[in-house]
Parts: sequence; C-alpha cells; structure tokens
Amino acid sequence: MNKILKEKDFIKRIEEISNQKISDCYQCGRCTAGCPFAEFMDAPPNQVIRFIQLGLKDDVLQAHGPWFCAACLVCQTRCPRGVDIPRLMEAVRVLHLRAKEGLIDVDSIDKELLLDAPPLAFMSAFSKYTY
Amino acid sequence: MKFPYYPGCTLYTKAKPLNTSMQATFGALGVEIVELPHWYCCGTTFTLARDNRMSLIAPLRILAKAQKEDSRVLVPCSVCYNTLKRTNYILKQDPEVLQILNEHLEESYDGGEQVVHPLEFFRDNKERVKSKIVKDLKGMKLGCYYGCLLLRPEEEIQFDDPESPTIFEEFVSLIGAEPVEFPLKVECCGSYLVVNSPEAAVEATYRLLKNARGNGAEAIVTSCPLCHYNLDALQAKIKGVHSEFRDIPIFYFTQILAIALGLGADSAGLSQNKVSPISLLKEHNLT
Repeated sequence: MNKILKEKDFIKRIEEISNQKISDCYQCGRCTAGCPFAEFMDAPPNQVIRFIQLGLKDDVLQAHGPWFCAACLVCQTRCPRGVDIPRLMEAVRVLHLRAKEGLIDVDSIDKELLLDAPPLAFMSAFSKYTY
Repeated sequence: MKFPYYPGCTLYTKAKPLNTSMQATFGALGVEIVELPHWYCCGTTFTLARDNRMSLIAPLRILAKAQKEDSRVLVPCSVCYNTLKRTNYILKQDPEVLQILNEHLEESYDGGEQVVHPLEFFRDNKERVKSKIVKDLKGMKLGCYYGCLLLRPEEEIQFDDPESPTIFEEFVSLIGAEPVEFPLKVECCGSYLVVNSPEAAVEATYRLLKNARGNGAEAIVTSCPLCHYNLDALQAKIKGVHSEFRDIPIFYFTQILAIALGLGADSAGLSQNKVSPISLLKEHNLT
C-alpha cells in the first residue's frame, strides 16, 4: 500500500488512467441502482466515486467494490452525465495492480473450475487482475 | 458466397459446439466460412485503462490479417466481437495510437475492417435463412439472452439498442420459435468473476435464469461462450444455494438454428451441453 500512498496527486492520477473527469459525477446513484454486483460491494460505485472526488485515498484503496466490477457497462450506459464508471473502477484496480497488490493467485483457483471453464474466463481474469 | 471467419480460441476448446454448429449452419445456408489463415487470441476482455496500449496489439494484428482477406470478417464469440470492435473504434478515434501500433507491428492497418456477428448476417439475409428451415419450432419458448458484450458500450459497438435490443428475438422468430421477453436479458451473468468471486457469478446467473423462466422461457439462447458456461455449468451450484431452482437448457444460437435447419443433434453439438436439452426437443418432436 505504501507505494500507492506516495502518489502526490491521487485524483489526477485516477483521471489520467481512466480518461474521465471525476467532477462530472453529481452523485445521482443510478450506477449503483443498476449494478448487478452492488450487493457484494462494501462501497458501491457511486460511493467509490465520492471518495475519489473528495481525495479520500485510503478509503478508495481499501474499498472492495472495484474488485467486484465485471465491467458489464450497465452503469456506463445509464449514467446521465456520461461518466464511464467502469473505467474509474479499472483505474482503482490498476493502481493496486501496478504496485503488485491484488494480483490474482493462480493456485487459489478452484481446480474443478480450471478443468471445466473456458479459457477466456481465465484470460479475462488474468488481464483484469494482473498488470 | 465466401466469408472470412475468426473463431477465436474458445471455439476450439470449451465452446466446440459453437464452432461445429457455425460450420454446419453456414454450410447449409450455402455460405462458405473460411477461417483466417493465421489467427491469434484477441486478448479477451478489452482494457479500460487509457494508458494500456499493449492490449491493443493482439486485436490489431487480427484485424490487419483479416483485412488482407476481405473487408469484413465473421466473429461469433461475443468477447472477440466486442474486443475487435472496441479496438477499431479507438484506432479510428486516435490516429497517433494507430500509427504507433502499425509501426510496431509492421502493418498498415487503417481501422476499417468490418466486424460482423452472425446475428447481423442472419438479420441481413432473412430469406436465405427462412428458405432453408425444415423443422417446425412453433411453440418453443426461447428466452434471448444478450449479455453485455454484444451491446455495450453502445457508441463503440452499435449492434442494437443497449437497453431494449430486438435482434435476437427477430432471429428466434425468423427460425419459427417463440421469443420470450425477460427484463434481465441485458444484465451481466458474472463473466470472469466466476474465477475469483464465484458466489457473485452464481447469484447473478440464478437471478437471470429465474427471471427468464418466470416469464415463460423453456430454454435460453445466447452467443457468448463465457455466458454459456456460466448459465449452463453454474446451474449445478445454484441448486446448492437455492433448492427450488429448476434446470433450464442453454443453447448457442447456432445450435438452435442447426435444429431448425434439420441438421441433427451431432451438428448442433448438443451432447456437450451440461443441462441436456434433449427432453425439451423431444417434447417439441424435434429429435
């Protein structure tokens, strides 16, 4: 976590990676309302965005919410402000991953699943949870 | 008629029935689908990090190879389709990225290769399909599950309306079956979360299968190999959590087309479906 905390301009970094303007969000909550995985998140999408807006680095980086985002893009389709929310979730994940945190642990993948699931499930997970 | 074809990795491994039924149905429709001479993995899920250009290399290489064959390429896998179309969009929007990647790969791709999904082909060739239907699917109630990748992001994919698409229902009507509307037809199945958060994928899958069944679907048709896996294989796990859950067969859209074209269960690759659709097909006198 230390490497990330050294980031001087947290909001700017998130905006660079995501190519989104964080102040565009006016917190209507429509992203969270439609998110199929919000129930699994400690901080749902609109809350993570609020943390970023306020520069609450620690809260952003401790949130599990972004890790349950499957990039299904329902929120992106419905956002009245045109914010590409999955890109913000990816930016949060990428900050962790590039600091070698949150990397997928291949050994912990269910063995039955490894033999049974299509390769694109693993390729997708590896591309999302590595750097 | 010839059509260049990019199957993608999964159609050679866990989604063989999709490949088998693609080959059989297009053959029966008089369209020769010709696999690209050299192809690679598209890299699967499209990167959302603006500064990650590495992940555009694999899809650009496929598109550049395809363009040497023809101005369009047929792509049945939703994941490949989404990745290739999103790559095209970026390359059109950002000439600098296109130039850097072309120089790196020693290619001269222009971002213009047309990526075509079989559902788009069927929509544009309705008579060709209709004239070859030999089995009567009347009364068979099929829920059309789109998933995410055929629809979103709308601006980049331009496949159909992302909230209330109809192309799949039109296909099901075209082959003589009865499309069943269900609200969650555009919602995510859990995708790759099945790898490291399987409980989320199981719950998402349960919700949408229940929703389809509740609206009258006897089976579901889909185009994405990952959706197919989650919807089909996770049913065994759903039963462990929700005891009232009843199995529902999941078809690839080309499997059900193979049935309608009278090509038989082998051409449709039905034996590899985990939830067997055979008894349903018998009920409808289709085997």
